[in-house]
Amino acid sequence: MNIEDLVVKANNRWKSLDVWQPLLIAISIVMIVAIAHKVDWETTTTNPSEIWESRKITENENETAIIFNQNHNDSAIIKGVLRTSPKFEVYTNETIVLGKFSKEEGIVYSEELYGKTMLNVSGMRILVNGNLDGEFYESEIVTVETKLVERIEYYEKSGQNITLTSEVWVAEPDDVKLASEKDYYYFALELLILGVGAYFTIKRTNNLKEQMGFAKHIALFELKRGMKAPRMIVLGLFFTLFIVGIGWLLGDLQNSQSTFVVQNGDDGIIRLAYFTFFVVSMAAIAVSVDSFHKERQSNTLNMLLARPVNRETIVLGKALGLSLVVGIPALLAQILGLYFMTSAGEMPSLGGMIAFLIFGQLLIFTMIAFQLCLAVSAKTGSDVVIYGLGAWLLFAVVWTLIVYAISFAIGVDINAENFENDANYQTFASRIGLLNPGIVYQMAVGLFTHRTIAIDLQGVPGWLVLLSLVLWPLMCLRTATWLFKREMRG
Amino acid sequence: MAASLLELNEVQKDYRIRRFGRVVRSSNALNKLSFNVEKGQIFGFLGPNGAGKTTTIKCITGILKCDSGTISIDGKNIENNDFENKNKIGFLPEQIGLYGNLTPMQTLEFYGGFYNISDSTIEERGGKLLDLLSLNKNSNKPVSDFSLGMKKRLALAVALLHEPEILILDEPTSGLDPRGVKALRTLLLDLNKKGLTIILSSHVLSEVQEMCTDVGIINKGKMIRQESISKIIDTVEKTAIKLSLRLNEFTEKDQKILEKKKGIRVLEKNNIGKHKKIILNLKEDLIPWVTDKLVKNGTKIFSIEPHNTTLEDVFLTETGDK
Repeated sequence: MNIEDLVVKANNRWKSLDVWQPLLIAISIVMIVAIAHKVDWETTTTNPSEIWESRKITENENETAIIFNQNHNDSAIIKGVLRTSPKFEVYTNETIVLGKFSKEEGIVYSEELYGKTMLNVSGMRILVNGNLDGEFYESEIVTVETKLVERIEYYEKSGQNITLTSEVWVAEPDDVKLASEKDYYYFALELLILGVGAYFTIKRTNNLKEQMGFAKHIALFELKRGMKAPRMIVLGLFFTLFIVGIGWLLGDLQNSQSTFVVQNGDDGIIRLAYFTFFVVSMAAIAVSVDSFHKERQSNTLNMLLARPVNRETIVLGKALGLSLVVGIPALLAQILGLYFMTSAGEMPSLGGMIAFLIFGQLLIFTMIAFQLCLAVSAKTGSDVVIYGLGAWLLFAVVWTLIVYAISFAIGVDINAENFENDANYQTFASRIGLLNPGIVYQMAVGLFTHRTIAIDLQGVPGWLVLLSLVLWPLMCLRTATWLFKREMRG
Repeated sequence: MAASLLELNEVQKDYRIRRFGRVVRSSNALNKLSFNVEKGQIFGFLGPNGAGKTTTIKCITGILKCDSGTISIDGKNIENNDFENKNKIGFLPEQIGLYGNLTPMQTLEFYGGFYNISDSTIEERGGKLLDLLSLNKNSNKPVSDFSLGMKKRLALAVALLHEPEILILDEPTSGLDPRGVKALRTLLLDLNKKGLTIILSSHVLSEVQEMCTDVGIINKGKMIRQESISKIIDTVEKTAIKLSLRLNEFTEKDQKILEKKKGIRVLEKNNIGKHKKIILNLKEDLIPWVTDKLVKNGTKIFSIEPHNTTLEDVFLTETGDK
């Protein structure tokens, strides 16, 4: 095939995408902006771990020196994750051990540190000349404008007086900022471009108003039908009792000394999100398991396809309707679960509660759309049930085992004690968790218990969690539509 | 000449079996099929099993997408005007699929919701259609309690609800009792008089011959003949006729003598009491030769009767079964 043929083929393909052209152009521009964002991230800031790892510690008989590659008074803007919440109280008179050298922090504790805060930014220690207690929290991504200064301190080790000549990165409280401030401009721009692309794509869609009306018509029909289905009544009752019971338990555990510790309200709601996913995903799969197969068998699908309704609209309408069938009782169960949890324990943050309820609906929609993909592809009734059960088992039950197995394969020592607290394992588990809609839901609830999306959830930034949260339902819906169109083409 | 309401031009359709996204087997269903239906016609769509009738209907109604070629309604390609064109089509499938938990009126409300008609219009038209199709007595029963014939009538009501320009019926009389068949025939003829164009796929050839103005015969996915019924029958009659003879005796030797002559074929041999009845296929000018030969051989001829050419004869001839 010569170049001319390829050009003609590409041109025809582009023309066939008529409706989607504006959105595709917008996505391309967003990718360029995202690359610019990434370049900006990498070039205007310095990697804190690299700086910290590059320091040289020399310990002689009565002299210790800590030297960085940079020169005194050199400044750098670093961007990283707060590994711990800044704890001002460490340097109060009650807890500080004067005259002790901490290798981890590269300083000797002295009265001079009173009123200062030591930050751990992606492993790098920065001494802030002020109190940041309560202003920043663990996992938040911050940028710090910092300067390298020289300090000379004295301490005692094994009865010997030792001089510490160290270089310390210092900053003023105003130099520490949430990283999101600049990122928000990028996200806003990306969102705007996507919005414009989506707007023009929608404008190009033929009979959009009618098709949306049909989607609503199908959704309401599915809702009425589903709500009367015996299986939904049984499942609804089951998951309501389960969520309420777990909610009460998670509230109660906040006050107990049990080994299964629930630290506070926010921790409770993140765990409740997981248990909600556990039962609600089963209900979502159960109601949609035979949606297309049954209709194909009973020939109602052909009757529907002969109406002036697009195939996309049929899939969307069904997904929305079935989501409401599970979503409405699930929402009631979640509210009850929250009520019982907060009655017995602490009140979680408002953002967390809203995310728990709203993202719960998005999770149900995602699971329904995912199951629709399987239901469309399945050739027989038993195939549909096996696929559905398999999907539920994979996401809700055996996921952790799969993560353990892959972690072991890539070299994480899963036999070690407390290996689950190992940073490498946590990073891997979080990243692979993006492939599971239930874990994404849990992470998103966790994200919204914070005040910003500039969060790093064990190696996964908040924006990636949000992106996954949006992409999962869209991808599932798009795939279900594509499969449905392909299957119905014959 | 009336304008073509429906036009199929070189429509190609293959069925593909896929495994993991790869096509593992494909079979051709429509092979560059072309035909057209004019406004006001009752078009009989004929063909043996597996000829591609239902596939053609599914492509016209948008249930399936054709691989290549064009299908136009009122000159507009259905690919680009799916919404507009489907509003013009009413479709009664062979296999009726209705939601068992709905009553007839709820069924009409559900399917009516896909057309630009108000709820009150659906109720009004639906009530009339249920009356017309004798379903009003069962309006409170769920569809699952209906007989096949009742379901078929309800599906016809669904097809007519939005007052389409073309009504496509796939085997409409299968499962109907004789009274139902007669009522349906009367209704369709009545609707046609009011301007509705009807496309009828059926295996009951007598029914097609009785109702249709035009016929298209499809075989192996290709249109092999499309004409008005009277023209098709005329053409066949010009080439050969059927002759029914009642004789005292008809031996193997007699048959060999007759079939040695070019243009004569013995189609049937039956015993009727003491007599033999044979049906021959031959050109009209060979009748004297046949009678002459038989009489010369000592055969007594009790009756000679020309056999009327039916649509079945045309169908069997065209599809190669004769």
